[in-house]
Amino acid sequence: MKTLSILFFLLTSFAVLAQAVISGKISDQKGAAVPGANVYLKGTYDGTSSDADGKFIFSTNASGNQIVTVQAVGFKTQEVTLELKGRPVALDIALHETINQLNAVTITAGAMEAGDEKKSVVLKPLDIVTTSGAMGNITAALLTLPGTSTIGNDGRLFVRGGDASETAIYIDGLQVGNAFGSTTSNVPTRNRFSANLFKGSFFSTGGYSAEYGQALSSTLALNTVDLPMRNQSDVSIMSLGGGYTQTLVKDNRALTASANYYNLAPYQALVKQNFDWEKAPSNWDSEVSLRQKWGNAVKGNAGFIKAYFHTEGSNMVIWQKIPGDNGRGDRVKLHNRYHYGNISFRHSGNKGWFFYGGVALSHNKDNVQLNAADVRQVNQIFHSKIVAVKDFSPQFSIKNGLEFYAKSYSESLLDENRKRDFTDNQFNHFIEASYYFSNRLIMVAGLRTGHSALAKQTWFTPRFSVAYKVNNQGQFSFAAGKFKQLPEEKLRVLQTDLKNSAATHYILNYFIVNNNRTFRAEAFYKNYNNLVTYKGPASNPNNIALNGSGYAKGVDFFLRDKKTIKDTDFWITYSFVDSKRKFAAYEQEVQPSFAPKHNGSVVVKHFVTAIKSLVGTSWSWNSGYTYDDPNLAGEMQRKTKAYSDLSVSISYLPKPNVIFHVACSNVLGRQNVFGYKYAAQPDEAGSYASQPIGQGAKRFLFAGLFITLSKDKKANQLNNL
Amino acid sequence: MKKLTQITIALLFTILSAYAQDSPYQAAMKKEIAKLMDADSLPVYQQSANAFARISQLNPNEWQPYYYEALACTFQGVDIHLPADKRDEVLARATEIAEKADAISKNNSEIVALQGFITMAKLSVDPAGRGQSLSAQVMQTFGKALAINEKNPRALVLLAQMEHGMAKFFGSGTEKSCGLAYESLASFATQDEAALKAALMPTWGKNLAEKMVKSCQ
Repeated sequence: MKTLSILFFLLTSFAVLAQAVISGKISDQKGAAVPGANVYLKGTYDGTSSDADGKFIFSTNASGNQIVTVQAVGFKTQEVTLELKGRPVALDIALHETINQLNAVTITAGAMEAGDEKKSVVLKPLDIVTTSGAMGNITAALLTLPGTSTIGNDGRLFVRGGDASETAIYIDGLQVGNAFGSTTSNVPTRNRFSANLFKGSFFSTGGYSAEYGQALSSTLALNTVDLPMRNQSDVSIMSLGGGYTQTLVKDNRALTASANYYNLAPYQALVKQNFDWEKAPSNWDSEVSLRQKWGNAVKGNAGFIKAYFHTEGSNMVIWQKIPGDNGRGDRVKLHNRYHYGNISFRHSGNKGWFFYGGVALSHNKDNVQLNAADVRQVNQIFHSKIVAVKDFSPQFSIKNGLEFYAKSYSESLLDENRKRDFTDNQFNHFIEASYYFSNRLIMVAGLRTGHSALAKQTWFTPRFSVAYKVNNQGQFSFAAGKFKQLPEEKLRVLQTDLKNSAATHYILNYFIVNNNRTFRAEAFYKNYNNLVTYKGPASNPNNIALNGSGYAKGVDFFLRDKKTIKDTDFWITYSFVDSKRKFAAYEQEVQPSFAPKHNGSVVVKHFVTAIKSLVGTSWSWNSGYTYDDPNLAGEMQRKTKAYSDLSVSISYLPKPNVIFHVACSNVLGRQNVFGYKYAAQPDEAGSYASQPIGQGAKRFLFAGLFITLSKDKKANQLNNL
Repeated sequence: MKKLTQITIALLFTILSAYAQDSPYQAAMKKEIAKLMDADSLPVYQQSANAFARISQLNPNEWQPYYYEALACTFQGVDIHLPADKRDEVLARATEIAEKADAISKNNSEIVALQGFITMAKLSVDPAGRGQSLSAQVMQTFGKALAINEKNPRALVLLAQMEHGMAKFFGSGTEKSCGLAYESLASFATQDEAALKAALMPTWGKNLAEKMVKSCQ
């Protein structure tokens, strides 16, 4: 027994003799302790973790030249070579932080993101479809965000004193022409694309990246869903029509096909309309999308290719009253055919390379019959794009892209066999460098260069942005840039050598997300140059020139809170815009009708478990639209009363795969007026007769039943609401 | 003295052969797995993740060290004491490590179940915001794990938890989630824990199943 104890003593003491103890402290560059760091001797099992004070101690049997490796989340891995001679070694290591994509500062000036996991998002994809009043229309949901104005007789996106044509829309990085359904004047339109196509969106109200051009005010980039989860069939039965979607998924590829038909006639037969419809709007659409994934993301060579095709047709006949005339007015018949297709890819390669791009074609044909005159307008946009991004280090990356556009437009008077048209080829290059000085400070600088063959003009538009995080949650960003845009097709076709209009943006933003509360405040200044001016009526302009100018300045606020009230999510926005511009036929700078001074909205969503329902309401308000009264001296002298709309909706889920949705807009039945139309000539008493431009109906009521059939009984169509 | 030397050598041999059954890799893994199973605080989980990371740097072709490292990260990611952004950070790390395990051992029911668990943890960071997009993904991943091994007790109990949460949300019955919990517990009962432990295979999750079954009764 005694022998044995001696033996053990000998053995252990031998071991102790050979061991070297390594101890010390792990800290960051400022000397603060880094707890939980992994400290070990490379190539051995010997190592430990640093404690709450950053201190560590471990022993090893190794000797000679060895490498100590230190790894910690948020820091660069550091290696230290040392010589072990059986004696204790003291080692203090200061780590350098790495750029952490999850927590690093992001540029939020002008930007509003809807997505799943990123921190800077203001909306989740689901919000777009569960916002009451939006009725599944992407644009309507975006109109509850700061910087936008609701123009009820138009329905498109108006951003910060800019008109709707100043917003460019992209799907998977490729431009979409005529993204809104064709309509007649003062009948609001909606976005052609269903909200359930998209997994996220990036909406910029100014100061955006050099990747986007030919938009003076705003861009909206929509990203489609990657791979759907499962095979499923979706059926929708609505008060306005119905639809069917089939999704097939296998391994790394998926196919989705859908068809929808809408007809407002039955609804309009039941509910009194203010508009004089001869034939209520009807619409059919059909879509096919294919996607294929390849490669292995771990090995660094992986990609995605998506193809998407959309085609639709719509019809309507409406009578539009003429002010001062007792008859039915003008008869407008509209027949629209629209096609959009794109093929896009993205591929991440080795050594920090990332590529994306694709081709897209939009084709829009409107046949408009105004009384006896038959007009056909065809607008086509071809867009191709290829972008290479290289990450030189986690701090520094450069994006380089080439784009080619072929835009053509024609309008013909069918009876008289007259036609005018133009085709423009545009070449663009953009380069953008991003540099993280630290996790707190990022700077992005870019330059976009463009050339239009038709306008015979080459332009350079620099962009710059910087963001600084003041504490763990809050951050400031600043963005500035120059933006160019060629005039609308209807004017270019009359005068093909028209050059760019220009805008300069300056934006200062504060953004904070903390514990399910988001607050965003932004101040902006934008000036316009070379806006299009002309003489005569908009339908027959002459003396077209680029003599206009203007400005827009203001502030907006956004607060979203999911925490204060249990099971309730709400957001409040307020936007102040002070904008004046000399444009179109105006002789002086005036406040445009599409730029109400004060704009606000409140959106509330509340889930009531007892009745398995999501109840929502939204209120949108503005201080009124300016309009021109020819009976008074000057221009844009008058303003309508305030606009206000309170909408409610309820989604009832009796079973996880069945949703019953009912929504009603303008429940209070307020008679909103968006402006006044005046007679072209004064009456005998010398005054111009007027007529208010109002809503199509007092309220709009929608009911729909959405059923999802799949092996997974829990799946549903929440995205369709 | 000669005798002493002989005894020493003999003793040394017996000691060595007792250890010889386990390679240093296995010994280290067993020790760390046992520690992980007893871990009860965030720093201990981090120590565990670090320990498995040290083992993987020496054994880059074994999936188990990656598996347990990702698991140790996921356990941190479900801890509500951690701020949301830190949870996302540690779960991003778990995702990355689990992918490495998956690249080594394709179609491994345990790894797929772990990936489902990670996604479930991500969902739990913001259930209202992420539920719609991630719940389907969680269900599908557990479905895949069970398609490979229908008796995987961890996939069963995690799926049971998920079903339980959804049943609560939709106000429907708990028959399905309880059924899965019973199935899981039965599967735990038939597993040969000693053999699995010797093979460094996952054995965790039994108390979770027991707790769920209890709440079902």
